[in-house]
Order: sequence, then structure tokens, then C-alpha cells
Amino acid sequence: MQIRDYILRRLMVLPLLIIGTSIIVFVLTRVGGSPIGIYLSHEMGPEQVQQIRERFHLDDPLPVQYFYWAQGVLSGDFGWSGVSAAPVTAVFPSKLAATMELAIASGIVAVVLGIWMGTVAGARRNKWPDHVIRVVSIAGASLPLFWFAIVLLIVFWVHLGWFPIGRSDPVIFDSIAHPTGFYTIDALIALSPRAFWDAIWHLILPAIALGYGATAIVARMMRSSLVEELQEDYVEAARAKGLPERLVLKRHARRNALIPTVTVIGLTFGFLLQGTVVAEIIFRWPGLGRWMADAVLRGDQATIMAYVMFASILFLFVNLVVDVVYAYLDRRVVLGE
Amino acid sequence: MVDASLSRPPVRRAPVETAARVRLRRTLELTGRVLSDPTTVIGLVIIILMLAMALLAPVITTPNVPDPYQMPRDWGAVRMPPLTEGHLLGTTNNGGDVLYGVIWGARTSLYLSLLVVSITVVVGTIIGSIAGFLGGRFDNVLMRIVDVFLSIPELIFALAIAAVLGPSFANIVLALAVTFWVKYARIMRAQIIRVKQNDYVDAARVIGDSKLRIYFKDILPNSITPVMVQATMDMGHVVLVGATLAFIGLSEAGIAEWGVLVSEGQAGISSGRWWASTFPGLMVFLWALAFNLVGDGLRDALDPRTEGR
Repeated sequence: MQIRDYILRRLMVLPLLIIGTSIIVFVLTRVGGSPIGIYLSHEMGPEQVQQIRERFHLDDPLPVQYFYWAQGVLSGDFGWSGVSAAPVTAVFPSKLAATMELAIASGIVAVVLGIWMGTVAGARRNKWPDHVIRVVSIAGASLPLFWFAIVLLIVFWVHLGWFPIGRSDPVIFDSIAHPTGFYTIDALIALSPRAFWDAIWHLILPAIALGYGATAIVARMMRSSLVEELQEDYVEAARAKGLPERLVLKRHARRNALIPTVTVIGLTFGFLLQGTVVAEIIFRWPGLGRWMADAVLRGDQATIMAYVMFASILFLFVNLVVDVVYAYLDRRVVLGE
Repeated sequence: MVDASLSRPPVRRAPVETAARVRLRRTLELTGRVLSDPTTVIGLVIIILMLAMALLAPVITTPNVPDPYQMPRDWGAVRMPPLTEGHLLGTTNNGGDVLYGVIWGARTSLYLSLLVVSITVVVGTIIGSIAGFLGGRFDNVLMRIVDVFLSIPELIFALAIAAVLGPSFANIVLALAVTFWVKYARIMRAQIIRVKQNDYVDAARVIGDSKLRIYFKDILPNSITPVMVQATMDMGHVVLVGATLAFIGLSEAGIAEWGVLVSEGQAGISSGRWWASTFPGLMVFLWALAFNLVGDGLRDALDPRTEGR
């Protein structure tokens, strides 16, 4: 009941936040100058330029221009992406799939590795595994992704030659159909072990690079909540009835310690999303992040707008889900503040 | 039965302490607590070394003329590996001395972090204070603006701003300032709302202190601690994000900045020239790590829940 009201209230605020974000980003991109450049060519005379100005309402006041932009967006028109030489909506889906594949793979690395590290550290508190993992997870918050990724490439691509760079071997990539855009899933659909292996092989290094920071966050949370759980009475009771320590940990303490960790996993998503921009540049990954970086360097306003709106909306929804899950799991949370 | 009053020890009077003495004693206690954690000390040592490098840069290197923040170019020694004579850490594709970049990069990073952190702390504190202290409509409007700012992921927001302003180091400063003040406004507002409810604030109001005086004497000093902890961490975080923006290409090429150097060195890694990216990136890592360690230590020392009393 109370939670339902809370969710309803948050959902009502959501459109306002999205509109607010779009206004900020729209004003911001227009501060940088008129977007007319991408529509012009050298052969055009002054009358033609004027025609384009009128067609895209560039002489109108900013609020009116915003209105036209919003109207376009609502009817599915996000403008022309200069860097891709195509409409934004035409290139978006395939790039989104590439980015999501990378982000999900990194998320899996972070969850599996983070929970494992946190469990080991929490169970052997203040012993050497704990200290090692503490250093590793403190480092995670300070590690520049752009540097870590390059170091991984230097070691595993240049020197050892274990992993490739890029998203795929183009020959193998073209040998199968791509109904979903997710290379791994497409390979499974096409029943091609060769393509599936190619997809995984290309994913490993960027997923580790991008996932490391999130791993550190998950491990830290898992450790501290496990340490807390291990001091609870029910753990003592389980030990007292003679349950082996391994099972006390696995069946009782770890299960409860996972609750707060789950909410942290949601929060790391924003972290992963931002990281894709850098990881995709370095690993030459054809996703949204690299698209945004290209657009930024060439002042491609339509692409920047579309990407920032996408990232903010996704970020808002993930945060909403995390807050709701947290409210469900921990009824002590005071809702509304 | 023994008379209880006989066995009672004589009343000992505590020595009278002046306010200044109390403050000094507390500061010393706090310093002791902070320094008792080895990881905090490691962080402090790294920070001191970094600051020394930044401040002494013109002494330990020969500054490039006319602009010392531009990488010097030695076209006779291009792509030299580390431990080459005169180029301890090697040179870049353009004959830039990596060691020079590492040292002057510390100075660039110090400028960047001090500028951004001081701007954002002041702006965030003022806005958070207005919202928390005055409350009502001010609070509502300001916090909705803060909410909108927080709904755009930090790096992506900074990236978009820097992109619009055009590639330059000064614009990176501006972009980071626009994105980072929000956190302080939030922290400060929450603190002020909490501190405002204390009895000593009521007491000050009863004896007729003006609002401004209450704010500066009672509320601000008691609310500022979490802001300072956040500022310490941001000294590292600003450099991390700033270097990321520079790496993506939003700074001028050729300046002695760690992110720019990593980006310029990236082209050479497939030919085995690992050093031009590795050393400057390592500096970003150490810088961020040091301020995170100290910030963590400060928070633990200041957190009343971990206090021994």
C-alpha cells in the first residue's frame, strides 16, 4: 500500500525529470551554435540556405525550436546523425545491441566476481585474503578505465596475443544472420559454434576492463553485509546445532547478505553505461559509446541529444527500479526522502 | 555497615578548559585517529609526493619555452624507449619526454582539481544552504533543479557540455564545475536541515541572534564536515573524470596532461611502445587512489558511529 503510493509518486515525477533533462540538453547543444552545418553543401546559394533555415525553424526563438524538436521526438524523429550519415533512428538499434551486449557481459563479470570476492573477504575477515581483496576493491574506485583497458591490451593483445581487439572477426560475423543484433544470441540462433566462440572471445577483454570498477563496488558491499550477517544470532544458532561452517555461510549468511548487494548491482549500471564510452573507443567496439564520442568530437548535435536522452532515461528507470526493490527488501527505509 | 559517605573519593574538579584548548585537543585527537590507519598514511604520502612534484616542476625540469604546459618536442629522439639517456621514461611519437609530461601533468592536475573543487564547494554550499536554511518554495525549486542535474550520468553530462563548448582544457574545468556542484548542494541541504533542529540553534534564536549570525556561527561550522570529506574524494575524482575527457579528445593536443598523454600514446601500443600511455595513466590512478584513501580515512575518523566515546 505504502510502497504502491511511493511507486506511483515516483512514476509521476519521472516525466517531469525527463522533460527537465531534455530542456537542459537542448539549450546546451544550441549554445554551441546552429546545427545548420550538417544540412549545407558548397553548391548552395543564400536563398537555399534561407530555405533550410525556414524548413528547420532555425530563425524561431529557442522555446519554439524546442517545441519543434520535442514534436519530432514524440513522432519518432530524432534528426540526422552527421557522424553516421543516416537518421539517428536508423543506426540506433544495432549500436544499442552492441553496447548492451558489452554492458551485460561486464555486469556478469562484476556480479559473479564481486560476490565471490566479497564472500571470501567477509568469511575470512582480517586474514590475508580479506586484505588482498580490500586493496583490489579500493583500487577499483580509482582506476582510470581508459588506462586499465590500454594496459590489458598491451599485455593480452600486443604481447601475449591471447585476445583480439574489436567486436568480431568480420568474415565470421558476416557468415551468420543478425536478427537481434546481439552477436552471441545471433550465433546461438544460427547454431554456429564458430561464431559464438568468436563473439565470446572478443567480449572477454572489454568485459573485464569495463567490469572491474563495478566488481570492486559489489565486492565491497558483499563483504560488509556478510560481516554484519555473520554476527547475527541465527548464525550462532546454526553453528550451535552443529552445521559445518561452509553450510552456515552458504545456506544462511550469504543468502541474507545478498539482499543489500542486489541493490548495489543496480546502481553499478550507471557506472557501466558511462564506461562504455571509453571502453568502446579503446576496444574499437561499434556501439553507442563510440558513436557518442565521435559525435562529441565533430559537434554532431542530433546524435549527442539522442545519446544523452537515452542515457538519462535509462539511468532514471534503473534508479527507480533500484529504489523500489530496496524499499521492498528493507521496510525500514523511510519512503519519500 | 560502613557509612557510604566515608568511602566516597574526594571530588576532583576537572581543570577548566578554554574553547581554544578544547578545539586544539579535539584537532590533535582527530589527527591521531586519522594517522593511526596505515592506508590513510599511504594516501597522505602519495599526495605529498604528488604536490611536491607539482610545485617543484619548474625546478626539477627545464620548463619548455614559451609555454611550460606544452610538451617539449625533441625531434631527434622520437619514440625512444625508457632509460634512454636524457629521457628516463622514454619519448612519445612526437619526441615529447614522457617524464616531463608526468611531472607537469601533476601541476595541470593540481590546477584542475583545485579549481573545480573550490568552485563546486562554494556554489554547492551556497545553494544547499539557501535551500536548507530558508526552506519552503526556495527549497522546492532548487531541489527540483538538482534532481534534473542528477538524472544525467556525470561523465556523459560533462562530455556533452565540453563538446558544446569546444575542445580546450578550460572548458573541461567548466564542464566539471557544472556537473559536480550538485552533490555538494544535496549534502549541504541535508546537513543544514539536520543541524537546524538542534537546541543550540533555538537558543541562539531566543537570545536574539540574527539569521545570518546563526548561520555562520552555529549552523555552517556544524554542517561542513561531510562536505569536506566529499571535497577530499573529489580532488581525486575530478582528475579521474577530467583525464577521461581529455583522453576522449576534449582538451588541446600537445599539452602536458595525463589523459592527453595516454591518448597520444595509444596509437603506438600495437607497435610495442607501451611506455607513452602506461606512465601517465599510472599517475592518474595513483592520484585518484591517494585522495580516495585519505577521504575514506577522514570519513571513518569523523563518523560518530566509529568514534570511541
